[in-house]
Amino acid sequence: MRPAACERDDNPCRPRHFKPAPCAPAPLEGPAMQALETSHTRLIITAALFGLAFLVIGARLVEVAGFKAGETRLVRSHAVEKPEAARAAIVDRNGVLLATTLDMPSLYANPKLIRDPERVAQKLAALLPDVGESEIAAKLASDKSFVWIKRPLTPSQEFAVNRLGIPGLQFQAEGHRVYPKGSLAAHVVGYVDRDGKGLAGIERGFDEILRDRHGPVELSLDVRVQYILRDEIARQITEFNAIGGMGIVMDVSTGEVIAMTSLPDFDPNAPGSTSDDAIFNRATLGIYEMGSTFKIFNTAMALEARTATLASSYDATRPIQIDRFTIHDDHPQRRWLTVPEIFEYSSNIGSARMALEAGSERQKDFLGRLGLLKAPAFELPEIGAPLVPSPWRQVNSMTVAFGHGISVSPLQMATAVSAVVNGGVLHRASLIKHPAGYAPSGQQVLSARTSETMRRLLRLVVERGTGKLAEAPGYLIGGKTGTAEKVAGGRYEKHGLLSSFIGVFPITEPRYVVMICIDEPQGTRESHGFATGGWAAAPAVGRVVLRMAPLVGIQPVDEESPEIRRSLMVDSLSPQGRTIAAN
Amino acid sequence: MMRLSSLLWTLLVGITGYAMFQVKYEVLQLEDQLSRLNRQIGAGQEQIRVLGAEWSFLNQPARLEQLAKRYLSLGPIGTQQIGRIEQLPRRSPMPPAAVAAAAPSSASSQLTAAPRLSNAGAGPVP
Repeated sequence: MRPAACERDDNPCRPRHFKPAPCAPAPLEGPAMQALETSHTRLIITAALFGLAFLVIGARLVEVAGFKAGETRLVRSHAVEKPEAARAAIVDRNGVLLATTLDMPSLYANPKLIRDPERVAQKLAALLPDVGESEIAAKLASDKSFVWIKRPLTPSQEFAVNRLGIPGLQFQAEGHRVYPKGSLAAHVVGYVDRDGKGLAGIERGFDEILRDRHGPVELSLDVRVQYILRDEIARQITEFNAIGGMGIVMDVSTGEVIAMTSLPDFDPNAPGSTSDDAIFNRATLGIYEMGSTFKIFNTAMALEARTATLASSYDATRPIQIDRFTIHDDHPQRRWLTVPEIFEYSSNIGSARMALEAGSERQKDFLGRLGLLKAPAFELPEIGAPLVPSPWRQVNSMTVAFGHGISVSPLQMATAVSAVVNGGVLHRASLIKHPAGYAPSGQQVLSARTSETMRRLLRLVVERGTGKLAEAPGYLIGGKTGTAEKVAGGRYEKHGLLSSFIGVFPITEPRYVVMICIDEPQGTRESHGFATGGWAAAPAVGRVVLRMAPLVGIQPVDEESPEIRRSLMVDSLSPQGRTIAAN
Repeated sequence: MMRLSSLLWTLLVGITGYAMFQVKYEVLQLEDQLSRLNRQIGAGQEQIRVLGAEWSFLNQPARLEQLAKRYLSLGPIGTQQIGRIEQLPRRSPMPPAAVAAAAPSSASSQLTAAPRLSNAGAGPVP
């Protein structure tokens, strides 16, 4: 038995420190018994630890498989390729597409693989008419290994090039910006370069947002109104043989721009082939001496400051001489004129006297409050800063009264007129659609009472003053004409006019401002040689209102109804009339 | 006893291994399917974009105006064509047939006037 026991003690698996007594009978007692028990305990602890580990793994398995299926699926889908997000689309306020990104094939070549550049160039030039043969040949003869031949290709061109079967020519699908409405809103939407970087308009102003965004960017434009505005301005330009024109339709209660156009314009699908004049945005970047439309602000300022009432009258008998200027009237009445008459006949002399009485400080302060003395905040990068007289002398006060010696952009005009007629609240002009029900907070810049009086005066101009041709029966347009001689080389040009009309409708409860300016119109036989705002711009405003009112849901009213007659009454002479006007 | 448990474990290992490979191949297949579907979705979205662009292009106001001039005898809505519901004549308590029998001329003018006014009234809704 002993040797056998000795052999068994030589078991290689025994703990090393355990040396059994030589040939002991291994009785289960004393130190041996103790050692055995120790190892036993250790085994149990190890087994328990392992068991615990397996239990944890098992529990986790059940948890992952059974209860967290959603989370794991999410993790998985990251591994699968997803379509790359394209530059966001631009749509109008009704969701009509103005700009989108489409995948189109572009053709590139590896010149190192092309054996006969001359012949390949010849074949390609036959298929791609707008790329010159010599240009292609030069590209193919270069020692680069990658040259673009044409970006992008039409599907039929892609097919034709593919059929040539020339090795070394390859296609690459690239996101390409497409403007389905062409030139319709070119200056607002803008355009991008070949790599999709915004270069003008909203494309530039909102470049980063368009890159990151998933949904489309909604503009405040209404494509239908935009078309009407552009159409009518284009008609006026042809009729009066003008060099250009611009127009803005603005929602007076929010400052949203419903339509904005500048002619001549360009096709944003091919911006490279346009002149600088066409790319220039006359409505926001161009600044002009606006002429008599500024009398809106002059009259509002005098009424607001209470230096004049509707019953005040001013001497317009003869022209004013000041420094080297002579201020005279285009429709001279040669008598004392009341404030409504000054407005109606667009008297420069009367306006200058009104401004003098109010003082230049008040004038400056009022125009500043209307945002006419500094560049406005707007979504487009093309923003013109106004040219303001400095120093502001007495003579400047007098000329600014009728819109000369101060240059502002049409956008600023539309914004300020909106504030004058909407009850006196100035809203920032905006090209982005406001969410439904959102009423932007504005700044009260003049009293609701002055605003009410101004609405009556504006109606007067259309009813019997210089703006008769803007009349659109049923829609109660009020407005003001403006004819300014353009400055060229520091002098006023007798025949370079900027003729404009700012209309507001319906004047009893204004919804929209429609402003149209025609750049350098020439008088025609039909207009009896006139090219003033009342002839060149006012009729277009009337037609725009007639066409857009049914689209935007404005009901025509009966102008002769007693309530409307009473609400628009201007009686500057009798005190009773004034109290009615103030009500 | 020892042999039986070994056999059982071997069998279990075999089954688990088979099941694992089975699941793995299924997952691979599903992944293929998923990426195919994703590609299809991408292509579908691209198609939608193309069609949307084409729709917008074909609906250019200038083009619509030309087509309308050529094929339709419609013009812009005049102010006289727009009315209000209150302007409609009061509906007669008698059925139309009885009205026609009672006063044929006035009833017919009422009946023709009513739909025209209501149509025109629906026009300017934005």
